Amino acid sequence: MDANRLSQGQLVAAIGAIALFIISFLPWFGVSGAVTVGGTTIGGSKNFTLWEAENPLDIYLLIVILVALAPAVMSLLGDGADAPMAPFATTLLAGVGTILILYQVFDTPGDADRKVGLFLGLLACAAITVGGYLWMQEEAGGERY
Amino acid sequence: MSGRLSQGQIIAAVGAVVLLVAMFLPWWGVSASDLGVHVPSGAQLPPGVNLPSGVSASHTENVWKGSTLDIYLLITAVVALLPALMALTDSAEEFSFVSAATFLLGVIAVILILAFMTVDFPPVGTTKYGCWLGGLASIAIAFGGFRSMQEEVAGEI
Repeated sequence: MDANRLSQGQLVAAIGAIALFIISFLPWFGVSGAVTVGGTTIGGSKNFTLWEAENPLDIYLLIVILVALAPAVMSLLGDGADAPMAPFATTLLAGVGTILILYQVFDTPGDADRKVGLFLGLLACAAITVGGYLWMQEEAGGERY
Repeated sequence: MSGRLSQGQIIAAVGAVVLLVAMFLPWWGVSASDLGVHVPSGAQLPPGVNLPSGVSASHTENVWKGSTLDIYLLITAVVALLPALMALTDSAEEFSFVSAATFLLGVIAVILILAFMTVDFPPVGTTKYGCWLGGLASIAIAFGGFRSMQEEVAGEI
């Protein structure tokens, strides 16, 4: 495997995709509460990863990860199949993904608490968008690192 | 106006309008029988007894309540409508990426609606016709985007 086969934008998008996949297993949302029974207060909390929250965002972000990562993996394996739509698809889908995560920051499901995964996921998805955009520019300019 | 739109763009735009309408129709619903409560046929409330307002034997929700699917489908519909909106406003702008974006977003909308109907479905309740109509509209958007891409390649516009 030779990372030099990848363009700079492709590399940024692929690293963002790997980061997003790892981050998806961190807590994204949390709920907490307390009840008082006979003068004794019992509290509890539960965190949810992206996969545990009842939300189609998990499936959507999985598609974004695959679209960003698949061309990089193909290039690294030496199967440099021509995929002219890949940079555009990565930019578009990750851009929409960033908007969807941002929406969740302001409107959490069931008024749950925001956890670290949500913010890191937002950054990772934005990184994929930037990587996809750079990749598009490089394809247009014929640059290959 | 439609003279400036290709066949694919018209299909996508019609799909987008249908999707926007479908988003306000019931997508899932729960009834007493879904909860294991069976009311004998012909059973009625005693005279003078009314259910409190907001309480009924069944309840339905549209796609705007509960998840990010609403925002995603809204973005998809707006992108699919973009060429028609441009034609309506007599704009000279040409967005070369719109057909590919419509196709991609439409395909993923179909996947997300299928996921909503299966793995992401609320634990109680059944799918309602809004969900099916939204799925069909998303297929139309994806097909319209694909057809529009083909037309652009063939230079038929």
